[in-house]
Amino acid sequence: MADQASNPGHIAEPTPAIEARGVSRRFGDKLALDDVSLAVSRGQIHALLGPNGAGKTTLLRTFLGLIEPSSGRAAVMGVDSVGSPVALRRLIGFVPAGDRSFYLRLSGLENLIFFGRLHGMPRRRAKERALEVLETVGLADAARKSVSVYSHGMQKRLGLARALLIDPAALFVDEATHDLDPEAADNCRNLVSALAARGTAVVWTTQRVDEVRGFADRVTLLAQGRVRFTGTVPELMAHALPRRYLLHLQNGGLSGEGARGVLSHALGGLGSIFTTAEDSDHYLLALREDAPLGDALAKLREAGFQLIGCRDERSGVEEAFLALTRDEEPA
Amino acid sequence: MIEAVQPQPGRLANAARELAKLPAFARRDMLVAWSYRATFITDVLSLFLQALLFYFVGLLVDEGRLPEFGGSPVTYMEYVTVGIALAAFLQVGLGRVAAALRHEQMIGTLESLLATPTSPATIQLGSVLYDLIYVPLRTGLFLLLIAVGFGLDFNLAGVPPAALVILFFVPFVWGLGLVTAAATLTFRGGSAGIGFGLTIMTLASGAFFPLELLPGWVESLASLNPMAIAIDGMREPLLGVVDWNETLRGLAVLLPFSAASLAAGIVGFRAALRRERRRGTIGHY
Repeated sequence: MADQASNPGHIAEPTPAIEARGVSRRFGDKLALDDVSLAVSRGQIHALLGPNGAGKTTLLRTFLGLIEPSSGRAAVMGVDSVGSPVALRRLIGFVPAGDRSFYLRLSGLENLIFFGRLHGMPRRRAKERALEVLETVGLADAARKSVSVYSHGMQKRLGLARALLIDPAALFVDEATHDLDPEAADNCRNLVSALAARGTAVVWTTQRVDEVRGFADRVTLLAQGRVRFTGTVPELMAHALPRRYLLHLQNGGLSGEGARGVLSHALGGLGSIFTTAEDSDHYLLALREDAPLGDALAKLREAGFQLIGCRDERSGVEEAFLALTRDEEPA
Repeated sequence: MIEAVQPQPGRLANAARELAKLPAFARRDMLVAWSYRATFITDVLSLFLQALLFYFVGLLVDEGRLPEFGGSPVTYMEYVTVGIALAAFLQVGLGRVAAALRHEQMIGTLESLLATPTSPATIQLGSVLYDLIYVPLRTGLFLLLIAVGFGLDFNLAGVPPAALVILFFVPFVWGLGLVTAAATLTFRGGSAGIGFGLTIMTLASGAFFPLELLPGWVESLASLNPMAIAIDGMREPLLGVVDWNETLRGLAVLLPFSAASLAAGIVGFRAALRRERRRGTIGHY
């Protein structure tokens, strides 16, 4: 503060909508969260990535005020999670993991009216709002059906509808897509993206590394309760292991092991090439860290091979995830 | 920057806002109960069958050994019906209060409830509100059904003082239920404890037989059993004559038990919830 006061040209950074600062949480001997910090601005989707047991759900529960941190602080819009848990929950929407968070004997509409009333809405307003959000998530036709007949995807959308009831400043989504088919998962992500576009700060926990690309603005990677990485998705991918590509090449006469020697020679020092099976036209290309893929492919073409296909053996994000979570020390 | 800048509404406004949420809980539980229509019907039917059982047992009882009420003898059926009603009231009420949050924990909705801006006290009260209304109504319905079905001669003028006794007994049941709920939340079990405690309390209540049949020292202890006090307080006006002085004396004895039970329940339950939050195990079951 003193620095800012003495520097009139300084523009103060806005308060993050969601902020954890040095949050640690111990359960007996196990340190579930170890000095975790993160900040999410309004309108930003922040993916909380990590393997099982990394501490993602514990951090989420800390933000919701369901768990008190052993040290450090968590806050939403400046409201502390321990000091003012009820005030905090007026600001947040929460989509829990799993399906069991609704009264299955009640309809989707009645469930939402109930939760709307717990957010302080009078019954008539709660019903109006419930119908609006059911329409938003595409469940208007199933509004009066018992939740017990809803599919996984429908229950997830209902979970999002519940979070939308209050037009939250911050949204916490816990493993929303882990048991959904690709279309339903995409549907969920689109709904959340639309909400973020209206200014909601989102924390999205997942262990599906492929879904953060093109969806999350920033990523925090947790492993064993510690932050291993924080940054953008491209920055995360920079931590990927040496890139490998599956190539489909044709040369008329040569294939398999016979072609491999020619290809290897053509590549020079750019990387290594391996056959995937005897007499196959498919090869595995492992590029050196700084070698451009385009240069390598050009060399192979110059050696008389026609490139039929080329694809990542594994996504860069997944590579980074594995590289960072295998490390003993944080990156 | 983490700065708590949210303006806090006054206590009264907060309390009013929390109270306004209670009907939502009652509606939710009524709708859920209504979705199990068969359970509701079998519940009433089983009460009737229980009364039928005691009717046949009553044929073997020497009614001369039963106490008189208002100077008049009573049949065993009349005597035991009030006992059955209150025992069922205690059993159902206690069981449901104790199990309300456990049930939320088991079906997975507790975390979602606690993630709303609703105080834990409202969630607890809301979760049992329907039962606090339904169980006394069920007791009244039972007494009515038995009176009509078995031709019992209840004193209608005794209904208001009997209802007042029930009203004073409700906080006792609620408090005991909260203590049990706290134990259940902490130890993830407790139904065995409830069953044992209920059996002891019912045995020493005079619900099914006069306390005079118990050994002298047990009878003295049993006279301090809130359930025995409540049953006596209901039997006198319903089976004998209305004596408001006697009723008020009974209520004066019952009141400290109810107040103590409720206070212990609220303190115990808050402590259990705080412990769960500290340990981070609130959604576990």
